[in-house]
Amino acid sequence: MQLLESVTTLPREILAAARSRPERGVTLLDRRGRATSRRSWVELLENAALVARRMAGLGVGPGDRVIVCLPTSQDWFDAWFGAAVRGAWPVSMSPQAATDGGHLSSRRIDAVLSTVDPALVVGVPAFVEKLAGRIQAVTPEQLSRAPEQDATAPDVAPEETAFLQLTSGSTGVPRAVQISHLAAVHNAHAVDEGAGAPWGCRISERAECWVSWLPLHHDMGLVSVLSMMCNGLDLYLMPSNTFLGRPKIWLEHLSAHGNSVAVAPNFGYQMCVERLTPDDVAGFDLSRWQVALSAAEMVRSDTVSAFVDRFAGNGFLASSFRPGYGLAEATVAVTMDRAGKGARVLPMPSGSGGGSGLSDVVSVGPPVMDTAVSITRPDGTLMGAGEVGEVRVQGPGVFSGYYRDAAATAENLVDGWLRTGDRGFLDDGELFIVGRDKDLLIVRGQNIMPHEIEWLAEEEVGGGGALRAAAFSITRDATGEEIVVAVETEAKDPAAVSALVEAVRSRIGRDIGLPLADVIPLRRGRLPRTTSGKVRREELRRRYLEQELERLGTA
Amino acid sequence: MDNKQVVLEVIAEVAGRPLSDLTPTTELVAGLNLDSSKALQLLIELEERLDIEIDDEQVGRLKTVGDVLAAVDAVAA
Repeated sequence: MQLLESVTTLPREILAAARSRPERGVTLLDRRGRATSRRSWVELLENAALVARRMAGLGVGPGDRVIVCLPTSQDWFDAWFGAAVRGAWPVSMSPQAATDGGHLSSRRIDAVLSTVDPALVVGVPAFVEKLAGRIQAVTPEQLSRAPEQDATAPDVAPEETAFLQLTSGSTGVPRAVQISHLAAVHNAHAVDEGAGAPWGCRISERAECWVSWLPLHHDMGLVSVLSMMCNGLDLYLMPSNTFLGRPKIWLEHLSAHGNSVAVAPNFGYQMCVERLTPDDVAGFDLSRWQVALSAAEMVRSDTVSAFVDRFAGNGFLASSFRPGYGLAEATVAVTMDRAGKGARVLPMPSGSGGGSGLSDVVSVGPPVMDTAVSITRPDGTLMGAGEVGEVRVQGPGVFSGYYRDAAATAENLVDGWLRTGDRGFLDDGELFIVGRDKDLLIVRGQNIMPHEIEWLAEEEVGGGGALRAAAFSITRDATGEEIVVAVETEAKDPAAVSALVEAVRSRIGRDIGLPLADVIPLRRGRLPRTTSGKVRREELRRRYLEQELERLGTA
Repeated sequence: MDNKQVVLEVIAEVAGRPLSDLTPTTELVAGLNLDSSKALQLLIELEERLDIEIDDEQVGRLKTVGDVLAAVDAVAA
């Protein structure tokens, strides 16, 4: 913890890094990979100071919450850091989710607003219009015309909250993870030290730039950017749509600006393998890509080897591929491969693969500095090496609590240990993740709570709550998790059952944008439930995979 | 070849389906299994083939084959 004794606040750490590296900053890329704007870190912070005065002019004070609902842009940086410099707590929110329409999205927005209780929202015009009359909401353009006021913020202790990170709660109610200045700065140091471990230096001494397409409302997208700012790297950022539409742009920039570092969930690497031809990447020099972190989703050994094989011709080294593990409640980074010798793979322990369908499991490395990981039974007692249990985490990166949700905090933070809800085992000090206890679905890096899908399916079924739906995920191939929905219905006529199946597919396709791997119509009461009437999704998945469900006939 | 034909061919290609599967009311996600990344890939293919620019913020609002045809019509000269 020596490194952290001098920690003040996140904005001050970034200011110190900015002053020592005045030439570094953030470059934004558009959807064709062209640089649209560049600002040095010093310029960015000077702008943030101005925005902080405008926020003060709008009545925002230290400790107030400011929701930032903007795409990856200079406006996003102005608003997020303006709030941070004001001493308020920025909360980054997905502009897509906020403006989708659909009543699921309104329900989620209402829940976020009531939890976070913001003094100000800086958002895209469609969202600002939606909030008119309810909450003080402005577009970046309106904010630029706000009156300026003194924004001197009182000193805060490093243990105090720096920002909130939105995450889905287990009941579908969004939660706001409180991250302290200390936790945020610790994450930066931990990644700097861990990523550089194979060379015995900090990665910021070896690499010049970080290239990312992860959205800034995503825990890994946000925290990795904050960390790399603390570490003084040059940032090249693109909207996630740019990568999803043209994955080549990511690799192009990893090859173009000197020694580079990046992180992506497994599906990002998989997409590069599936979508890019040798012609697309001809001439790219990926030997400059020092560290390719893979986290936020199960790391698949087939994806790792396919990626390494495919891009070896561009100089990509197997040793650059570095699996890791993290979650919002631990700021982000928990473990990371330190050896830099290529992915280490073990056979999946029998009976523990859950629905992953994988026969082997990739090491996500040992805990990052000052951090401990233990594997426990549900009562918290320790399990032996190699035994599969619940993953718990302790360290300076562990969150302070869920904002205004003491019950959820008490459930997930036990004697200073974070219960992750993930299942895994330790081998030779390295963590292996085999599945999770929580009902979270992760499809192409996007976290989805089953409730969100179930509500929509139940609306299509009707039945006033008596007919239930249940969503779970299966893994058939390297595409990763896919969603299956089971719905109860009173309908017996095959044509009516078919119509219901199509209606469920269509509703979830339109409202969430997810294709379903399967929709299973069941007779009323056939979903497995607990004695208290809660649907047992794990049991349902088991029966589905064992083909024990009595599927109603369709036309 | 007119734009409409190109759009249908590109959709069929990205979705890996025969042209005969496509009608204006065919849904992109539920009917053709196009998730958001495939939908973005589709827009980019269309931009390159037709030399147009479609705002990718629109992608969430394109629900059917007909929506894509309309979006292309709106920006094509």
